[in-house]
Formats: sequence, structure tokens, C-alpha cells
Amino acid sequence: MVQSKKQKYLFLSFCLLPTFIVFCIFTVYPMLGGLYFSFFDWSGTSSVKEFIGLDNYKQLLNDSVIPKAILNDYFFVFVKVFGIMILSLFFAVALTQLRIKEAPFYRIVFFFPNIMSVVVIGILWQFIYDPNIGIVNSLLKAIGLEQWAKPWLGDMTWALPSIAIPAIWAGIGLFMLLLMGGITSISKSLYEAAEIDGASEWQQFWKITVPLIWPQIKTSIIYIVITSLNGSFVLVQVMTGGGPGIATEVLGSYLYQRAFEDFKFGYGAAIGVLILVISLLTVIILQFILKKEKVEY
Amino acid sequence: MKNSVYKKSWLFLLAALLLFVLAACTNDTTSEDTETEQPETTDEGTEEAGSGEISGQLEIQYFVGGYGDEWWKTVIEDFKKAYPDVEVIEHAGPDINTEMNTRWISNDPPDVVYIDGNGSSETQMISEGQLMDISEWAKGITMENGTPLLDSFISPAEELDGGKIYSLPLVFDTWGVWYDGNWFEEQGWEAPTDFDSWIESMKTIKEEAGIAPFITTGQYAQYFQRGVLYPAFAAAGGEELLNNLSNGVVEAWESEEALEVMKKVEKIVDEGLVDEGFAAYSHTQSQMNFLLHKNAYIPVGFWLPNEMINDTPEGFEYSFVPTPMNDSGNPMALIPDIRPVAIAQEADNPEAAKAFLEFIFTEKYAQAFAESTGAIMNLKNIDLSANNNVPSFLKGINEMINNPGAIQIYERNTPVDAKEQEINVEITNEIKLQIVEILMGRIDAEEFVQRMTNKAKELRGS
Repeated sequence: MVQSKKQKYLFLSFCLLPTFIVFCIFTVYPMLGGLYFSFFDWSGTSSVKEFIGLDNYKQLLNDSVIPKAILNDYFFVFVKVFGIMILSLFFAVALTQLRIKEAPFYRIVFFFPNIMSVVVIGILWQFIYDPNIGIVNSLLKAIGLEQWAKPWLGDMTWALPSIAIPAIWAGIGLFMLLLMGGITSISKSLYEAAEIDGASEWQQFWKITVPLIWPQIKTSIIYIVITSLNGSFVLVQVMTGGGPGIATEVLGSYLYQRAFEDFKFGYGAAIGVLILVISLLTVIILQFILKKEKVEY
Repeated sequence: MKNSVYKKSWLFLLAALLLFVLAACTNDTTSEDTETEQPETTDEGTEEAGSGEISGQLEIQYFVGGYGDEWWKTVIEDFKKAYPDVEVIEHAGPDINTEMNTRWISNDPPDVVYIDGNGSSETQMISEGQLMDISEWAKGITMENGTPLLDSFISPAEELDGGKIYSLPLVFDTWGVWYDGNWFEEQGWEAPTDFDSWIESMKTIKEEAGIAPFITTGQYAQYFQRGVLYPAFAAAGGEELLNNLSNGVVEAWESEEALEVMKKVEKIVDEGLVDEGFAAYSHTQSQMNFLLHKNAYIPVGFWLPNEMINDTPEGFEYSFVPTPMNDSGNPMALIPDIRPVAIAQEADNPEAAKAFLEFIFTEKYAQAFAESTGAIMNLKNIDLSANNNVPSFLKGINEMINNPGAIQIYERNTPVDAKEQEINVEITNEIKLQIVEILMGRIDAEEFVQRMTNKAKELRGS
């Protein structure tokens, strides 16, 4: 009844090969293609392209927009990680531990933004921030804070935080569900024992809940970081186009501008490679920071 | 037994993968088949064209934007009737430039291309050898009245590399400032004719209506660049200054004229005439605000009425004036924004393509163009005054164009040389950034020209 080595490998191939092939076609091939094109001066609209070696990368180093775009990308990373993790953890604990009757309803409500298109979210929030008809300014005026009303998306200081808010709002639901899954799998007896020992709810949260759902927290943080570095582009493009000026420019929106509006596809590809490198480095560093022994009680 | 199950699973997986690959290949083969059909018909077409007949397949790529596609549908239908042996294949839509990109990259382009919209650039296409040199053929084409076609354009066909023509200027569009004629009449406000009268008009509107009279889109700062700065540069220093500034010539940015123009912009800002929310708006949002009378003036091209047709309030009368950045006593400047039509260098059926281009440049289709698009076809002496289907603003501007005096037309040329083209792109990007800064009041005119001069120097290595 013992499997031969050949059978074992056949079974493993059966399980892994389809995913591997799809991964190669849709991830590795485009990635290598991007790397290849980054060594060319190519408009992306014709067959004419010239090999220029590392010139696109040299240009990257001297491009004044790049540092600002990287900073903006990391602004989104930090704000989203903290915003989403705090709120989703809060909601997850509330909906699982506080015995709220309407918990299933809230679960659906909080998850709702996740099933909406990011483009729709961007347009929706554009209206919310509209200087004339937007609900934010109307509300401020209604409560007598008229001096605080401003063109949020057209303000050099406030445009970036204004985009971060819908980004957080749209991200809470998914991670809340992930954390709720972790919390519900924790044995009730642990909380009962802690209560008998006199631990407060706050202590129970820090000593039982957080350590036992650490794998879910870690996965959530890494996922938020990756999607922020690669996906902030859509909201930025829809809500501000990188403006005003370059106040909300992220690497993704700058890549789009250079590759598809300025017809510098080779340079755009070099920016793409930079995004890849930054994402990889960030995730590696993050893995190291979040390294923690698995806790079991 | 287990072994046989694994074996079967493995075979099943292999079969599924093969099927997947086969299916993908089948699709490819289909498209290849379609593509390989083209050269056959082309050869046929070319051979027959040689014997004086036009036949075969003719592929036409056209962008559908603010002008809609009604005109294209009409002319293509008429062309089919006139050339029954030609099978016309249309590639059209708002995203057609992206959709057809792979065809251009793989040197299998359509025969005729109308160059307009995002993702298309005539200069890029010329510099990469994608467009056919049609100089000799174009010189031989005459209009119904016997006038050579090349002499019939309002804005002439651009001649490059010592007289080579790669495209025919089809649409005469231009940027200017729009206002609601009915609203102005009701309120007794006068349309401006020069910079001073424009400032006075905006001050009056601000005072009487309590609004910031001027709006533009900050998200697409090229609207202000093309709609206000280009006419201002041309009015201040003619075509030379206009082209030198947009092509990043350092001395041009250091000139007095450049500073004077930016001083005018600074004045508009300092008087508090710009909507403070402009930087947050996309072009459609700013246009919506304009239609709702939250503002009174907006710089846009001819396509505005068509683009906003579904949102236009009742009683709103689109009225257009060339951007009044000119000094008193001088004509207003108009910079044509031409949308050309061309034949691909690798066209499979160039004879049919030439026949199509010759077919569309007539008075009949110029009238139809004005009726259905709200813009003007680039042909001189087309009398639109008797055509009741043409909007009144267009009749007025057509009259002005054909009887210059109050306005002066200036041509903007984009360099074809790759290096100069790159400088042009970078300067355009920098102008767009600095426009937002000056309109927000973060920098003054001196700082604007200083930053532009520095950028020009950096790009030219001086």
C-alpha cells in the first residue's frame, strides 16, 4: 500500500503543474517581458525599438517625480495598514465577542465595499469630496465649521489623505472576515479560564485573542502592503489623476502616464521593475519584522 | 488499482491541458486566417487598382469621441455605394487606439486611420514610419470646383522633411472660451474681445452673480495649456514664440513676452476669478459646473456641446469666443487643433484608401460634418450660414475663420525629430505641473517662467 516515489511525484505534478503553468503564462512571462522592454527605447505603439541598455534606469535615478511617488506609495502603505488593521480588528472583535444581535447584517454591510468596483468607489468618493455639492463640505457648513470646508481633492496637503480614506473604507470588510474566522476558532474555555483568573477584557484581548490570531494578522498586513504598493494606482487615477501637480502621484499612476500618455513604454517598464523590486524588498523586511513564534495554549 | 487511478487522472489532466492549448491555438488560427486573407484581397485590390478599379477589403480605424460616429457611418455607407466592390471593415470606438495597438506593433495596421483621442499621436506615427508619404498623390487631387485639395484647407497639410505629406487635416477644431449666450444676454454682460475686457467682464460677473467666473480642469491641465496659454503665447509673439515655448527653447522662456503672458494669468488669479476647487475637477466635472452656472467661462474645444449634450440645461446657449488673451486693438489668436486622417505605410489596400480619402473631402460631407459633430471640417469657403442644422456658434466661428480680421490663425508645429519630440513631451508635462501651481496662487509669473527656463535648460543640457 506504500506509494512508490514515482506515484508520489506523479500525484504532486498533478496537483501543482496546472497552477505552475498558469503562473508562468500570466505572471512570469509578463514579468520577464516587462524586464526585457525596460532595456529599450520603445513607444509601445510600433515595432520600432532601440536597445539602450540601462539608460531607462539611469533616467529613473534622475527623475524628480520618482522619490515623491515612492513616498506617496509608502504613505498609503502605512495609513492603510494601520487604518485597516485597527478598524477591522475592532469590528471583528465586536461582532464576535460582544454578542450583537445584528452581527450578520453588519458583516454584510462591512463587506459590501469589497464587492464594488474600485472605479465606482473612486467616483462615489469624488462626489463625496466635491467642493460644491459634496457631503463633506455640506456637513462642515451645517455644523458651523465652514472655514474647514475645502476642495479636498484639489488641495496639495489634503488630496493624499483624502484618497487614503476610501482606500481604508474599501479594505476593512475582507480583513474583518479573515480575523473573525481566526477569533471564532479560539476555544471559549480559554476566555472562561482567564475570566475566572480575574483577567479583564482588555487583558483577554492582548493575551489571548491577538497571539492566537497572529497568523491572520500577519497575512492581512502583508496582503495590505502588497495591494497598496501595486493597487493604489486605480483610486489615484480615478480620483485625482496624480494631481494636483504631483501631490498624489504614485509609482503606478506615473508608470501609466509615461507608458501610455507620453509613449515611453520602455521607461514605463523600468518603473514597473522598480515597483516589483520595492514590493519584494518591503515584503522581505516585513516578514522579518513580523516573525514571531506561533502561540498555542 | 490506485496506480490506474493516478494514471487516468494524469492522462485526464494532460488531455485537459492539450484541449486548452488547442482551443487557444484555434482562436489564434482563426485570427491568423482572417489576417492572412487580407494580403490576398490586397493583392487583388492592388492589381485591380492598377487596372483602374478599386476593390478588395478596406480597413478603417476611427476614434469615437466628442464628435460621435454619425458622420463616419454616413460617409462609409455612401462610399460603399460608390465603390460596391470594396468591402469596408470598420474599427471604431472610444478605446480603438488601444484596441488596435497590437495590429500596429505587428506591422499589420488598417488601411486608413483617423488620428484622434488618447493613445494616438501623429508625430509619433510619422517618426516611427507608420504613415505613408502621400505627397505626390495629394498634389494631384482636386475638389469639385477644380481647386487643388491642398489649397482648399483652412489649416494647411503639414509638410515635413522637405515637403513630404503624411496626413490630410480632416477636422478643424480649436480651443477657446465658452459662455452661455442666453445668460449673458439676460444679465446684460458683454462677451470679451481682448484681455482687458475679459478681466472687466469676469469682475462684473463675480460681483453680480457672486461666483468665481473662471473654471478649468486641474486634473487635465492641458485644457488650460491649450485653451488659454497657447492662444496667449501666439497673440504675444506669433507662431515663432508659440512653437519655441512649447518646444522648450530656453531663450523663448527667458523672453519678455513669455513673462507678460504669465503676468496676465497671475492677474486672473490675484483678482480671485478662478474657481478655487478647479484642481479637484476632471474635465467633465468642470464642464458640469459651467453648465450649472457655478462659473461663467471655461476653456474647451469645439466638442463641448456634443460631449455635454445630455446634461445641457434647457435655455443654455453655447457661445464661443477665441480666448481673449490678446492686447486691446490686436486680433484674437486661434490655434487650430487639427485631427488628421492618414494611410498606413503598411496598408494592404492603399488604392482603396486613397479613393476613400478623396471621397470624403467634399462640400457635402463638410456640411454633414458641421451638422453632426458641432465642429468644422478643415475646408475653406464652406457656407454654413444657410444650413439650419448647424449650431449658431459654429456658423459664427466659421464666418470668422473664412473672413479673418478680428482673429488671427496661428499654426502650432510639433517637431518630428525624436530628441526634439522628447523635449516637447517633457516641457508639456512641466507646463501642466506649473499651471496648477500658478492657478492655485502658489507661485507668481516670475517663478513660473523661471521654473520653465530651468526645465528647458536641463532638457537641452545648457
